[in-house]
Amino acid sequence: MSEATKTLTLKKTQDWKLPTSVLDAALADDENAMIAGCMDGVYRLQFEPHQEELLYQHESYVSSVGLLKENQIVSAGYDGGLRWFDVEQRKLLRTTRAHDFWSWDMSVSADRSRIASVTGQYLAGSYKYEPQSEKEPSLKVFAADSGDLLHQLPHIPSTQAVAISPDNRFVAAGNLMGEVRVFDLDNGQMAANWTTPDFTSWGIIKSHCYLGGIFDLQFTPDSQSLLLCGMGPMRDPMAGNGRQLWQRWDWKKETPTLLDQTHQGQSGEGLMETLAIHPRSEHFAMGGRLRGGDWNLALFDLDSGDRIASAKTGFRITRVQYTADGKSLFVAGTQGQPKPKKDDSPLPPFGRVERYEIG
Amino acid sequence: MNQRPNTSSTCGSPEHAVHRRLFLQGSMAAGAASVASFNGLFSIPAAAEQAKRQGKKCILLWLCGAPSQFETWDPKPGTSTSGPFRAIPTNLPGIHISQLMPRCATIMDKLAVIRSMKTEPSEHFQGIDVLTRGDKPRPPFTRPILGSVIAQQLGDLDSPVPQFVLLDPCPEGNEFKAFKSGNWAGWLGAEYGPVRAGGKYSIPNLGRLDSISELDHQDRETLRAFLSRKYENDRRSEAASSHNAAFQRVAGLMSCAPLFDLDQLPPADRERYGPGAFAQHALQARHLIENGSTFVMVANGMPWDNHVFQHEMHQMLVPELDNVLFQLITDLEDRGLLEDTLVIAMGEFGRTPWLNEARGRDHYPNAWSMAMSGAGIRGGVVHGATDKLGRNVVEGHTDNRQLFATIFRALGIEPDQEYDLPGLPTFRRVEEDAQAVEEVLL
Repeated sequence: MSEATKTLTLKKTQDWKLPTSVLDAALADDENAMIAGCMDGVYRLQFEPHQEELLYQHESYVSSVGLLKENQIVSAGYDGGLRWFDVEQRKLLRTTRAHDFWSWDMSVSADRSRIASVTGQYLAGSYKYEPQSEKEPSLKVFAADSGDLLHQLPHIPSTQAVAISPDNRFVAAGNLMGEVRVFDLDNGQMAANWTTPDFTSWGIIKSHCYLGGIFDLQFTPDSQSLLLCGMGPMRDPMAGNGRQLWQRWDWKKETPTLLDQTHQGQSGEGLMETLAIHPRSEHFAMGGRLRGGDWNLALFDLDSGDRIASAKTGFRITRVQYTADGKSLFVAGTQGQPKPKKDDSPLPPFGRVERYEIG
Repeated sequence: MNQRPNTSSTCGSPEHAVHRRLFLQGSMAAGAASVASFNGLFSIPAAAEQAKRQGKKCILLWLCGAPSQFETWDPKPGTSTSGPFRAIPTNLPGIHISQLMPRCATIMDKLAVIRSMKTEPSEHFQGIDVLTRGDKPRPPFTRPILGSVIAQQLGDLDSPVPQFVLLDPCPEGNEFKAFKSGNWAGWLGAEYGPVRAGGKYSIPNLGRLDSISELDHQDRETLRAFLSRKYENDRRSEAASSHNAAFQRVAGLMSCAPLFDLDQLPPADRERYGPGAFAQHALQARHLIENGSTFVMVANGMPWDNHVFQHEMHQMLVPELDNVLFQLITDLEDRGLLEDTLVIAMGEFGRTPWLNEARGRDHYPNAWSMAMSGAGIRGGVVHGATDKLGRNVVEGHTDNRQLFATIFRALGIEPDQEYDLPGLPTFRRVEEDAQAVEEVLL
């Protein structure tokens, strides 16, 4: 770590539980509630006074949630659908069949005008199990207000992560094979395309097929570079013990260039699933699962890339999000599902939401 | 007793080691089999016709690592254990399977599914042992694997085509790797062990050298056989006997090399089965069975062990299995072979109803599923049931012994028969008088 890099602390100040795994979450504008996409539906978790409410459900797990204008939310699911919901009126506004397969990830633009969702079923495409080409458009962009389809864009399944640039001009999507495609949202043309092999495993020991890939990506506030996260390659992907990995790429160069990645000696093992950038660009947060090492939540200096704070949450993190003032970090995720009881009566809650003060 | 003479002594002898090196670790590559002079040897319909007359055969789709019953044969829609996939109706009224298996849903009338498997081992090595041999180990005695028993009982040892073939391109496999390096044929003797092929497995230099004429080749073999037989008779050597058997097996392999060449298979068939290694080798299994093999086991490492990425992996693996089963059963039926060919699809146990933190399902032997079709099996049967959440078997409890009794009965092999093992304790093909699952038998 460079001498100039200042270290910080992460101190848990509050925690809440939800009935099932939180697979994605979005902090409400008043920061007193969180919209949580869970295995069994979309919840509104109010912090003070504490209250939780199941708002609506998909036909399967919810994979992503996002905030729209005028108290609306949008969610994507393993049923391939997008759903718009008015939180104030408690009313489902629109359901769109976005994909034949599930939505791996959905992202809402910073101005809340566009929604991007990615899909793609990984099917054997060769003797070595390279993925087949797509059977449906892997990336779709919708108008947030009308639900109109704006773009259908190609990628290679499974396309697992998507982000819209802060200036609302580009959409980027990353897949199982570590390929990133960036498209111009004005005309749908591909603006950049490269592959990083560092997130993908071909199972040598147990499974002769591919696993891993890019699980989240975020544009930096100036839209000039892209942060990616996932897990480093493994001989046995079933072990889940790849290196906790982020990479930062300058995607606007003619040949996209790797600028930085998790520094040597600053990572443990486990799949990293979520990234967030500090509102004043001071640092970024990454979270996921702890397989080996001593952290599954960490802050990294955005300039130097040094790890400047870390914590062990005791559960798999699926979403990190800063508060608007950048002083706190909300973390959502899940513990393992408890053993079901005989009669399918409610299980002990295993969804998790926590608040950390950054000191 | 009505068994073939046991030509081998107990397991673990040096002779067996010779066989193992040659037949278990050594094997044939799809690519290495491009021996032009042997091409087309088995392309004449008469050869396939001869194979068809030979009797019952078996293909084991070995789903090593253990697939999830929830994402295959026993979905639990609308419950906390269901996972993200839907259940779909099948051509059996009231029977639903995972949405990942749409093709099998159309041929459920040809399948027998056991949803009530309950076995003991919860770790891979022990599970593989029990579900391929039929029983727990009883050291120092090694029970033969299913393929060895079937090769011994139903195979034609005079055939140049290997009677027991393992197609598995994955050289590793964790516990399966350890298992693969063990003694498969057990007390039956190494001549009933598998020939391993698939992927990079090869016996180098399988083809006759160009510098040696066919006549020279035969003369050399005659001389070798004479000297070896003389040595064997003079010294009463079992090692020499095994060595001779090895030479004969290699000679057989040389003559049927094209059977192991994926490139020799019709492109349309290869496309129908799908491009993955498991699918291609399932097609190769059909081809081997059509041409005289008795038991072919198809594996691909142990990819089903999804402690992490359960749904991300099963969304790829199950559709491949679905298509392979559909193509295999349909093909065998179209060729008039299904009646005599038993197709089994199973792993060593199932997976937990609950998801772990790493988005995976763990090992679960308490309640799991498997499927069979073809020889001796009644199609359109779903045997047994699990509770609402798939935690326990509530009807038709079936263990490994009962399963093996069922498999043997389906193939016309007496499950209760004692092995002829002079000097060894009494062993039966299936111990403890375990009864077959009559519901799934014709």
